[in-house]
Amino acid sequence: MASTRLVEAESRRPGGAQTGGALALAEVMPRLVLESRRVSGTLAHGLHGRRRAGPGESFWQFRPFVTGEAAARIDWRRSARDDRLYVREREWEAAHNIWIWIDRSASMGFASDLAQTSKVERALVLGLALADTFVEGGERVGLLGLTRASASRGIVETLAQALVDDRAGLMQDLPPPARPGRFDEVVLVSDFLTPLDRVREAVQANSVHGNRGHLVLVADPVEETFPFTGQAVLHDPEGGLSLDIGEAGAWGETYRARIAAHRDGLSEIARQRGWTLTIHRTDRPASEAALRVLTLVAAARGLG
Amino acid sequence: MFGIPLTFAAPLALAALVALPALWVLLRVTPPRPRRIHFPPLALVADLLPKRETPARTPPWLLILRILAAACLILAVAGPVWNPGGIGAAAGREPLLLILDNGFVAAQDWRDRLRAATDEIEAAARDGRPVALVASAEAPAPFEARPPAAALERLRAIKPRPHLGDRDAHLASIGTFLERMPAASIVWISDGVRGVGETDFAKSLGDLASRHGSAVTVLKAERSPALALEGSPVQPGEKLSAQVLRAEANGRDAGLVRALDQKGLPLAESRFTLQPEASEASVSFDLPVELRNAIARLEIEGEHSAGAVVLMDERGKRRRVGLVFGGTLDQAQPLLAPTYYLAKALSPFADVQQPRAGQGTAESIGQMLDNQVSVLALADVGALDDRTLARVETFVEEGGLLLRFAGPRLAAGNDPLVPVRLRRGGRSLGGTLSWDRPKTLAAFAPESPFAGLNPPADIGVRRQILAEPDGDLPGKTWAALQDGTPIVTAGKRGQGLVVLFHVTADTTWSNLPLSGLFVDMLRRVVGLAGPSAKLGEGDGRQANGQAKAALLAPRLTLDGFGALGSPPASATAVPADFADRAGPEHPPGFYGTAEGGIAVNALAPGDRLSPLDLTGLKGARMGSLAGAETLDLRALLFSLALTLLALDTLAGLWLGGFFRGAGRVSRGRAATAALLLPALLGLALVFAPPPARAQEPPANRPNGIESALATRLAFVVTGDAATDAASRAGLSGLSQMLAARTALEPGEPAGLNLEKDELAFYPLIYWPIVAGRPQPSEAAIRKIDAFMRNGGTVIFDTRDAQTARANGPPTPETAYLRKMLATLEVPELEPVPPDHVLTKAFYLVDSFPGRLSTGQTWVETIPPAGEGGERRPARAGDGVTPIIITGNDLAAAWAVGRNGEPLYPVTGDQRQREMAFRGGINIVIYTLTGNYKADQVHVPALLERLGQ
Repeated sequence: MASTRLVEAESRRPGGAQTGGALALAEVMPRLVLESRRVSGTLAHGLHGRRRAGPGESFWQFRPFVTGEAAARIDWRRSARDDRLYVREREWEAAHNIWIWIDRSASMGFASDLAQTSKVERALVLGLALADTFVEGGERVGLLGLTRASASRGIVETLAQALVDDRAGLMQDLPPPARPGRFDEVVLVSDFLTPLDRVREAVQANSVHGNRGHLVLVADPVEETFPFTGQAVLHDPEGGLSLDIGEAGAWGETYRARIAAHRDGLSEIARQRGWTLTIHRTDRPASEAALRVLTLVAAARGLG
Repeated sequence: MFGIPLTFAAPLALAALVALPALWVLLRVTPPRPRRIHFPPLALVADLLPKRETPARTPPWLLILRILAAACLILAVAGPVWNPGGIGAAAGREPLLLILDNGFVAAQDWRDRLRAATDEIEAAARDGRPVALVASAEAPAPFEARPPAAALERLRAIKPRPHLGDRDAHLASIGTFLERMPAASIVWISDGVRGVGETDFAKSLGDLASRHGSAVTVLKAERSPALALEGSPVQPGEKLSAQVLRAEANGRDAGLVRALDQKGLPLAESRFTLQPEASEASVSFDLPVELRNAIARLEIEGEHSAGAVVLMDERGKRRRVGLVFGGTLDQAQPLLAPTYYLAKALSPFADVQQPRAGQGTAESIGQMLDNQVSVLALADVGALDDRTLARVETFVEEGGLLLRFAGPRLAAGNDPLVPVRLRRGGRSLGGTLSWDRPKTLAAFAPESPFAGLNPPADIGVRRQILAEPDGDLPGKTWAALQDGTPIVTAGKRGQGLVVLFHVTADTTWSNLPLSGLFVDMLRRVVGLAGPSAKLGEGDGRQANGQAKAALLAPRLTLDGFGALGSPPASATAVPADFADRAGPEHPPGFYGTAEGGIAVNALAPGDRLSPLDLTGLKGARMGSLAGAETLDLRALLFSLALTLLALDTLAGLWLGGFFRGAGRVSRGRAATAALLLPALLGLALVFAPPPARAQEPPANRPNGIESALATRLAFVVTGDAATDAASRAGLSGLSQMLAARTALEPGEPAGLNLEKDELAFYPLIYWPIVAGRPQPSEAAIRKIDAFMRNGGTVIFDTRDAQTARANGPPTPETAYLRKMLATLEVPELEPVPPDHVLTKAFYLVDSFPGRLSTGQTWVETIPPAGEGGERRPARAGDGVTPIIITGNDLAAAWAVGRNGEPLYPVTGDQRQREMAFRGGINIVIYTLTGNYKADQVHVPALLERLGQ
């Protein structure tokens, strides 16, 4: 019979309070960061490189002036050095950002002995690994409603630090309404164990400009299969709710039907907005879900 | 019940067993405690109601466990009793009268009797009947029926008494009881032995019972198994004998009688065999008189009963001989004193007493008479003063034996306390002015007490005192020389006897005291002394000389099982001539003082045991003591039920997932902890860390075997690290120097902790004084005191030669030393005189410098040089000075490092260090050789004289 446990609240926030922040970061975060790097190292993300000239702010290259172009584009300082005219090109800086949100609410701090790790740990690893991979691929990544988008090489550490400082995130089981841009993409990593209406609201709030997004549902195998038998009292870590379900084996059938319906609802919500839903069980390796999300993101780019 | 020896106190309770199947059903529907599962999706599905309310089925094994527990409880409540007792119990609520024989005869199988009585009382308790308890050897008293619990309490207090019971005495109170409680049933747990002087108790009891309509049950062994021992406490002579008695043939036909001394150590054993139908057998011990005198009790082995013990008192034992010597005892030559020969010759068979030293003859004789000797030996005592003479005469008149030896004083005086008239002066034989040769002894006359002894031919009497040839002289002569002159004469006086040896007790007049014949003669003479007839003399005098014998208080008495102990409160004194058997007021035991008491035994000489005649007890039921043991099964069943319930609780907790805890880590932790805790405790005891050892290197550890194997210098560890390091290095340096220059090769120096370490291994202890340290404890001081008394030497080094001023205040170190030595017995001290042997023990030195050189060295004062005597180059006292006090910090000067380099600078030049070493070597050699060197310094003179 499977047994379940809740991980401590401290490890749901990778780090700690301002006081214990550094300590907890050293304790928890390096492992998560390393794990993220290990996962991202196995991923290849070269499908939508941005290393070319385009609208941007930083210098990219000088190219010869082509007749017909607007004269205002000539870089006179460079052109003065010889007889030819040059145009100063800037690197294409797409306004496309990828916003990641990782659910760290109490329900995420759950692990059964069938899983490899707790849900929150897997979600953090997954989210940070994706961020790292995206940055490697030249994307700008930020935490939804928490940080700016950035393409820094140390994105994992940056994001982890932001997560550590964000205490409010420990209470929220749905992303804040951040209104991302038209070409932004949103990756929501959560267990989505909230009523469908609220999920729908959150998804709508984050796709007001018609931007695309991806739901990554991290689930414990127990939550899917409900392998319990015998007398049981269920206890909800978030609401403090308890339910005497009597004979667990009999109740499980109902439960499984209900959870399947919930996922169908999620899938429907995603499809309505043109988003995707990835279901990841914590007894599977994290790279599996990460690859799928990367593929989906690349496919979206290909489309867009 | 159903042929099984099992009854139930409340059989109706068994009906509850019918309810067990119902319990089965009930238990099946009671679910175990549900598991608690953390489950995040619950918020989503909170509206899902449990589908099926039927709980999980209780596992069958749990069900069986609970049913068993319930069954055990029901059975326990029903009060099952295995082998229910109470053979004598009749149905009904009538009281039970329990008569328990507790004379010493019952002691042998007392446990069986006690169990039988307990069974009876418990059976009465089950029937709710009151119980009256009568112990037949206790003093008779009115009694009444009491609740069984109280009777059980009283039963526990009853012990076998060390004397025979007197059942007749209880008839009156039993009669009174039956008057009040006519229908009481009587159970008599009898020992089956008829008491001495008892009338027919059984018949009287039968009459009483039939008069009141009581049922009588007698519980007794088939044949009384008790054995008893009867013998006289006074058995003069070397042979001890006793009678083994029994009431009737009981199959115990052989056994062992042991003779024990005062401390309970076995001295001899004798096997006895009873003829199958006989009821008595004799057993005897033939022992050397020394062993025989040490015997204090005889007992039948394995028979734990006061009746199987015969106590022997002092009256049959070795005589007490007081020795008084008339001359001045030269303490320097105790081996030549006459009393020495006498004490040696007498001590194998007599208790020799000698007066305290330094008393006059009269006081000595007085002291001996006060000690109640039975033989007073006077060696060469001349005239006595009137008072002492009167005392001695009284002593002899009352039965004492006066043993006198001749000598110059006796020969000179005129003494009435002699058996024959003596001629003044003596007779010398074989002297330089005599033609005679020393005479030897003639063969002893048949009527002499010495008859049978063979005088060896080499006995020579050189001098003797002659008796006047009166008419009765031959009758008083016990031994004579070959020429017929008496050498031992004796005469009766009152009840006593005066014996005179006409030679001295030492070897000046004859070599008789050196021969074995002397011992044998003395043994015969002392054997003639009457028993200590002066028992309780003081008491007797207070009674104004009345004929009534003195009273002797009990000193040690036997309990019923034959063990000696303090007398009970009920024991009263007996007269000194008590010869009866023990009774309730006089339990068997020793009465009077240890020196001159009497023994009272449970059986008087001539007592015999006889079986109880129960024919007079008509209509009584007979039962055996050896009934099966009654067992109340309630406690067992209750414990079983409790255990099962505890198991059930644990199982319930386990099923409810209680031991699983919140996560994987703590799974089973509680259960494991419960199992592991006792194991851990046990392990903790086994693997308790060994006590920490001191840092002392193993070879230097004091008290180790190494300390005894090598001579080592030692120092006192003061606790001041620098000082201790200096002491150790200093003694190491001195040890090296000793090994290099002298024949002594000391081991590594030892650091001593005075509180713990044994000092006896070390000849010399160096004690540097550190002012700041706490004073050593009283025990340590006493240890040092003992060390110094027993020949050890302690060097106290105050190390303050630089700061000390001759007339100034004492330095802190000096003050510390003074305080420490205040309680120590320190001899008179002086600065080392120039001719002290200490200055010449190995080197010739003048002073004893150390790191400092100005300090004075103090030693025990030695006797001053004799006036006018030859001026000796060295003087010494008798021993070694126990104490050397110096202020020169010797150890610092001796201290050398690992490579032999000096560690501390000296105040003077290097010569001073060399002199410090020489002084140290002298001190060590002096402590080891003592004043030997003082003698050695004469050798040249002696050699010179020999050469001439």
